[in-house]
Amino acid sequence: MLLTHTDARGSSRPDRVVVVGAGGFVGSAIVRELAAAKIPTLALTRQSVNLLDSDADATLAALLVPGDAVVFVSAVAPAKTAAQLVTNLAMANAAATALAKRPPSHLVYISSDAVYADDATPVTEASPVAPSTLHGMMHAARELLFRTEVRAPFVALRPTLIYGADDPHAGYGPNRFRRQAARGEPVTIFGEGEERRDHVAVEDVARLAVRLLRHRSVGVLNAVTGVSTSFHDIAHIVAAQFTPPAVVQSVPRPGPRPHLLHRFFDITTCYEVFPDFHFERLAAGLARVHREVSATTAAVPARANAT
Amino acid sequence: MTRLPVIAYLGMTHLGLCSAVAAASKGFSTVAFDRDVDLLGRLDAGTLPVVEPGLDDLLRANRSRVSFTADPRALRACDVLYVAPDVPTDDHGQSDCSDLNDLVELAVRTARPDATIVVLSQVAPGYTRARQQPGRPVYYQVETLVFARGVERATQPERFIVGCPDPTSALPLALAAYLGAFDCPILPMRLESAELAKISINCCLIASISVANTLAELCEKIGADWSEIAPALKLDKRIGQAAYLSPGLGIAGGNLERDLATIIRLSESHGTEANVIRAFAGNSAHRRKWALRTLHTTLLADRPDARIGVLGLAYKENTHSVKNSPAVALIRDLRPWPVQAYDPVVRSVAGHDAVRHANTALDAASGVDALAIMTPWPEFRALDAAALARAMRGRLVLDPFRVLDGQAVHAAGLQYRTLGVN
Repeated sequence: MLLTHTDARGSSRPDRVVVVGAGGFVGSAIVRELAAAKIPTLALTRQSVNLLDSDADATLAALLVPGDAVVFVSAVAPAKTAAQLVTNLAMANAAATALAKRPPSHLVYISSDAVYADDATPVTEASPVAPSTLHGMMHAARELLFRTEVRAPFVALRPTLIYGADDPHAGYGPNRFRRQAARGEPVTIFGEGEERRDHVAVEDVARLAVRLLRHRSVGVLNAVTGVSTSFHDIAHIVAAQFTPPAVVQSVPRPGPRPHLLHRFFDITTCYEVFPDFHFERLAAGLARVHREVSATTAAVPARANAT
Repeated sequence: MTRLPVIAYLGMTHLGLCSAVAAASKGFSTVAFDRDVDLLGRLDAGTLPVVEPGLDDLLRANRSRVSFTADPRALRACDVLYVAPDVPTDDHGQSDCSDLNDLVELAVRTARPDATIVVLSQVAPGYTRARQQPGRPVYYQVETLVFARGVERATQPERFIVGCPDPTSALPLALAAYLGAFDCPILPMRLESAELAKISINCCLIASISVANTLAELCEKIGADWSEIAPALKLDKRIGQAAYLSPGLGIAGGNLERDLATIIRLSESHGTEANVIRAFAGNSAHRRKWALRTLHTTLLADRPDARIGVLGLAYKENTHSVKNSPAVALIRDLRPWPVQAYDPVVRSVAGHDAVRHANTALDAASGVDALAIMTPWPEFRALDAAALARAMRGRLVLDPFRVLDGQAVHAAGLQYRTLGVN
């Protein structure tokens, strides 16, 4: 098995969890989940430690104490350019240098399913790491960097496409669809939106991260639901949440139709290692996000307009 | 040789026991040797350590020709000594040959100079060549024991494949006389060829199983039914009626997994391409978890209080073996949920404290939300779908091997899931 639990019962309670990248979309969700689990947490944002500063490793090391578990989720994402790749590696290098000096009790790295080859399907934790994008290569390199440089039990959590109410990105998918509909614009899909992808709620990623901490797990786990849904269907789910329903409109693809249209995951490993964990179903998750965003919009209209 | 040769089998586990009884059934005086005195006592009393249809009766009918003994001196009377202990494997398909090695050394040390020593246990290519000593050739013979069909395979072999230190020389007279009694082709060949022939047979079987499993899964997605396709394939002479085309829950039992591991190891040592073998192993691991995935996607995500019934624990019907049993793996993966299990032979499973071992199949089905029939024991075919429906709390029946009549299960108001069709 590619993931093993040091604590099979999951009763471990880290003295403290240091979340590096706590200000981000995923990092803040993990901090909230740790708070819900009443696990002491040090939430480090870019304001606390700028990993691109020349003395970042010393600054981070000074904040760590023996017994700390660390979740590293800081990234300039997505890494689309060579410069962004180098920036992300520099950030990880600074953190790894600090963690080499002050080895944590456990290191959880929030990676990405982009580390797998494009033509891997169904993807499992055993699928070869063969990234085809700089973003995937960045995560693969950072996994290796932490695994080799830091003397600590290491686990990589590899989420697929993440959605949530606080998603700051506007990438193709539920968040962009919701923003388009909220602005009264048509929800646009490329071609017929046939591509089927797995989408995971950020809250589920955070719940998995905390479970990995409590089991002091080592290895690799994909944060994926095992259900792939077409962008066409997602667009219609999101569009139907608005009154009146938004129009879903097909637009030409920005590039050629991909050879492998769909990506599926086999989540048997998750069933094996966390048998009582179940992912929020996409339709339910999108409905919840809509309620959360609607509530925020009603309370603070200016913020909604800003998006 | 005017008299019938005396045959010895060393190692009274599954292979040695079935083979020794088969030898006696052909009229040969047979020495059945093992170092385990307690085991021999049980055998002497007619209590067999394995479940193998027909074996008890065959032993009873030929009891006068079988001598169970732990005394190596009895081996001096034998003309052919088969070294035949089962070779256990670990979770990675690696063999533990320590018992086999000990018995080979004992045979070499004890046998008369004119006696013939044959390794019958499954070994990796190169094993028998490494045991040759000046003036003491050691032969290798392919065993094709099939769990639950051990008597048939041992008494009516399709052919004998014999690895010889020098395949250009005639077989020793005693060995030729013994094998000749089975009235089937005898194929002498190099030691390494025979050792690889055994693995080759299993690889062909695994290939068929893997094809069936791969296409059966596709059937479940596209509206096809593998049970309609497989009979059509068997009528193709290039495939054949006996082809292994029933979809299953991956390969199990230990021996086939060992062969995959052996081929992968050899290919890595010699730089040959063997990705298809890795794919067989990957497909097997994937299909093994069919029941777990089905339970999660159809029940467990919404029913944290679910109770599961499991019928069958052995890795296949008519055997006591649970080696790599999908049922046992399922039960271990279901550790948060209470499980009620029943197997006609296997009465315990390590690794799941919350298993209640029921006394009957219907008892195991009582009050469960889902029932998984994980081993196709014949007695499960007699289960009445309406009685199951009355006994169960929920409606989900997983029947990967189509033990039950799917239409009858549907008619009883149950939700029926099997391999090869949606």
